[in-house]
Amino acid sequence: MASTVISHGITIEGELTCDDDVVIEGTLRGKLVSKDTVKVENGAVVEADIAASSLSVGGQITGNVTATDRVDLMPGSRLIGDVKASRLTIADGASFKGNVDMDV
Amino acid sequence: MARTSSTSHGETAVLGKGTNLRGRIAGEGDLRVEGTISGDVALKGHLTVDDGAEITADVQARSVVVAGAIEGDISAQEAVAIRAGARVVGAIRGASISIEEGATVNGRIDADFELPPELGGKAR
Repeated sequence: MASTVISHGITIEGELTCDDDVVIEGTLRGKLVSKDTVKVENGAVVEADIAASSLSVGGQITGNVTATDRVDLMPGSRLIGDVKASRLTIADGASFKGNVDMDV
Repeated sequence: MARTSSTSHGETAVLGKGTNLRGRIAGEGDLRVEGTISGDVALKGHLTVDDGAEITADVQARSVVVAGAIEGDISAQEAVAIRAGARVVGAIRGASISIEEGATVNGRIDADFELPPELGGKAR
């Protein structure tokens, strides 16, 4: 159980900063900074820049993402934006439009 | 830390300890706040503000339980409960309002009830 959960049906507009892991199942617009893992679940809609230690995407993100560790795009996910991370996986069935910078 | 008490819509959203939101949060479901929010909260479900949590903005929900601090108006369709140790600066409005001993409340209290006739009759 994550310490912060933006569940389905919840919309956040603004800047969210967290020390711990975050799970997004709802909608987030703005900016998200976490020192831990961020998980964007299937069905989630994120229009925000995200910075985290690692990011796993099953939903939709429009925005630039930065991870100190890794970014994983799961099947069915959709990311429009640039990725900056030393490790990146893009699963079969994920869609991605943007630049990748693995030279972190 | 379990996702309990799902009422209106699915599960409870949680803003955990060490989480800070500058902006608005709105939605259908329930929300538990352990971190800090500066921005309006508008929920169709229940709002729980834990001990140590801080909200600096107006709050609207179906029902509200406060054990932390709220600086702003609280408005609920149902009950508002202010627990011991809580701090509220702002107006409280709800169908029923309870304040425990040890809570600090600074503001107007506006409860939707009819006064009995011997106490003046015309409530509000």
